[in-house]
Amino acid sequence: MVHPMFSFGTRWLVAMDTIEKILKAGERQAEEVEVCLARGASVTARLRKREISYAMGSEHQALSLRVIRGGRIGVSSTGNPRAWEACLDAALRSAALAAPQEWDGLPGPGDKPGGFVNFDGSAVPDPDRVREMVRGMEEGACRYPVEVVSGSAQISQYRIVLANTRGLYREDRESVVSMGLETIRDQSTGYEYETSWKMDIDPGSVGERAAFLAATSHGGRDVPTGIYDVVLSPDAFGQLVGSSFLPALSGRNVHTGRSRLANLLSQEVCDPALSFIDDPGHPRGIGSCRWDGEGTPTRTLPLVKNGVLRSFAYDLKTAYQYGCGTTGSAVRSSMGGDVKIGFHCMTLDGPREEILEKDALFVHDVVGAHTANPLTGDFSVELANAYFYRGGNPEYPVRKAMLTGNVFEMLGETGGLSREEKVVGCCVLPSIRLKNQRIIGN
Amino acid sequence: MAGIRYYDIRHVKGAISHIDIENSRVESAGTTFLDRAVIRVLGPRGWGILTVDHFGRPRGKKFDELLAKASALASLTGEEVVLADAPSGMIPVPPKKTDPLSIDLEEKGRLLLMVERAARIPGITSTRAGYTERYEDVRFEDSCGNEYTYSLVRSGYSILAVAGRGGEMQMGYRRRHALQDFPLKEGKKDGETAARRALALLDARRPRGGIMNVVLDPELAGVFAHEAVGHASEADLVQEGSSVLRGRIGERIGSGIVTIVDDPTLPEFGFEPVDAEGSRVEKTTIVDKGVLSSYLHSRETLPAVGFGHTGNARAMPGEPPQVRMSNTYIAEGDSTPEELIAECREGILLCGSRGGQVDPGRGVFQFNAEYGYLIEHGECGAMVRDVSLSGEILATLHSIVLCAKKRKMHAGYCGKGGQTVPVSDGAPHVLLRDAVVGGNGHD
Repeated sequence: MVHPMFSFGTRWLVAMDTIEKILKAGERQAEEVEVCLARGASVTARLRKREISYAMGSEHQALSLRVIRGGRIGVSSTGNPRAWEACLDAALRSAALAAPQEWDGLPGPGDKPGGFVNFDGSAVPDPDRVREMVRGMEEGACRYPVEVVSGSAQISQYRIVLANTRGLYREDRESVVSMGLETIRDQSTGYEYETSWKMDIDPGSVGERAAFLAATSHGGRDVPTGIYDVVLSPDAFGQLVGSSFLPALSGRNVHTGRSRLANLLSQEVCDPALSFIDDPGHPRGIGSCRWDGEGTPTRTLPLVKNGVLRSFAYDLKTAYQYGCGTTGSAVRSSMGGDVKIGFHCMTLDGPREEILEKDALFVHDVVGAHTANPLTGDFSVELANAYFYRGGNPEYPVRKAMLTGNVFEMLGETGGLSREEKVVGCCVLPSIRLKNQRIIGN
Repeated sequence: MAGIRYYDIRHVKGAISHIDIENSRVESAGTTFLDRAVIRVLGPRGWGILTVDHFGRPRGKKFDELLAKASALASLTGEEVVLADAPSGMIPVPPKKTDPLSIDLEEKGRLLLMVERAARIPGITSTRAGYTERYEDVRFEDSCGNEYTYSLVRSGYSILAVAGRGGEMQMGYRRRHALQDFPLKEGKKDGETAARRALALLDARRPRGGIMNVVLDPELAGVFAHEAVGHASEADLVQEGSSVLRGRIGERIGSGIVTIVDDPTLPEFGFEPVDAEGSRVEKTTIVDKGVLSSYLHSRETLPAVGFGHTGNARAMPGEPPQVRMSNTYIAEGDSTPEELIAECREGILLCGSRGGQVDPGRGVFQFNAEYGYLIEHGECGAMVRDVSLSGEILATLHSIVLCAKKRKMHAGYCGKGGQTVPVSDGAPHVLLRDAVVGGNGHD
């Protein structure tokens, strides 16, 4: 039951009727029509220092249409489902401009799907709940001598219907709970966050970790330029592989000449100890799902298995275009947004060890990962909350240094994964130990 | 209504259109229609905010109910928010040079294809061109009786060319965005420029990182002004205590040749005729000849922090206002680029931007160049690739020793707090002493 302040209410039933109208009207003008209608409610509390500065409630609607006419695909979306006729016209106009391609149809009705995989009915967008969450983080931060800078907590729920003129009709519900806190001690900053689809995050723990980072990074030392074994946290690792390695697994990038991994199928592309697997059934994945963004049933997709490249990711458009099968890898770019190739829950598997037992530079976060070369994987990033570990314990924080290298090459020689994992965007990742990485110190 | 000290409503309607061409095929084209409103109510202490899709401004009792709903959210807050009295009024929107909305989708597709085809020269293995166009009709009202309406259109394109040889790939990239104009009509030469740069980068060196003298071109120096100084001068960050510039007004934070300005009145990509909470927009000199002189402010941050004026609140459609930059630049000096390179002696010239990021609380920034050239014996030498620059804001501002006399602005987008807004950054060429350069090569 959703909090009365933000309810789906009768407008949702009206919206259901709209889907039928769109499909009927669209079918008269195109061979196939796809409708994705989403409605969501969220509540956010924003903390400034130790007081809530604003509380925000949002009600969203999104209607996304795709039409296929003579192999030409047109898309359009709107936040106002009542204006669906203009939206349909725009999709048809854009289809007229698009180049025709091989097209063998949208998914049909298929099997009856099971229950919701990432929906927690108790994750209610209730203002009092988000207030408790920010208070919990703030209390957790009191365990270290730091100032709270800012923070926020949010609870969202969505209902999404995907339907098409081939008879597919799938309804889903999703929930997202997220919170984060930023702290500072003099010029040492710390930021920690957690995301889940259920109400299982401990706000006190998030606050305590944010405070720990700022407190223990204080008084950092410089490290000399040189070659180090580096342990990247799930956040730092997720940002670096997300900048170039994961995009190189997209079938579209492979076939359009923008992937360094093209032509390397069945070849070793990283340490044989590592496997990158998209697992849509992962119990912690925010994007876990039974079917993808265009209604294809999802399956576990081993992209890299024991270091060997096994597959690329395809949606229907790219699969038809290049004569491959879809891997069920279509994702919506936002709630009710357009379809693109992506991952539902990317995981990294490999040997789980105490990866900080031997001396290493531990990096909690990096600044500027998005500036990496997306084609070649070359990068230079500034370190944030980095510590030199000796004998399994942090010896001193590192004041300022850069990590420079190549994402594809850095995966070639690794030294194990942590047992603990974290939800990082569309991934659930461990920390990873990387051997012989170049650090530019001061 | 009892308990409500102030309210405002910002409603944005409009549309975003795109065309995406890959390897000479129109892969995608489409339109997203915008129609969202943000209703802010200032309660006895802080804000209650509602965001609503396809908003119809209710009257009478229904409007009171809307305010009551936002007011209920405001009752959760504890921070005592005080609003500054702000000068109101809207400046004129610059006239359209060429109206993108007057050109049909097919013609835009044809022009984009010309840009893309210009990039398909021998050695180029992949191309991607994109066009985006965004128009917004904005309506603002507040409880003080201010009301504004205006319309703006922005459009632009990008071209990516990938060169391949013996299994190696490099990319060249050009983009151009404009306010109230349609730059795509003159975009063809950018296709070839991107392609030639990608080919040249195949032979470029990967320099070894370290501490060295650096000349930044106007685009990258503009990113430096934006990342290193602009964000840290945003007064919401100063108020929270997460800016290294907190408490430094009047202090010399850079060399005497450094003046950094933010000006939303300039008819550049970050232009705003009035800010997102109805305040008049004005030019702000953030750093004046090396001395920190102002922060960027909203009505909320000015009483809390001081030093400056309102007019820097900006928002994405359907999102609450934040303190943001608009058109940010380093003012001109009196040297020439050639003099900077000669003065540098040994170092590196960094050109173009692949983006940047800052941790304003720690005072550390990082940004990446698209390409560069080694400087040896005061002259430009071999081309280099994958070079970045990082540094500490306060130390780096002191290390600027020369600025050239010709400034150029570049349009782009800036993200903060989950919102992305159009901005422009600019600068002349600048020379930095002893900067930390990142690179993973051995040259």
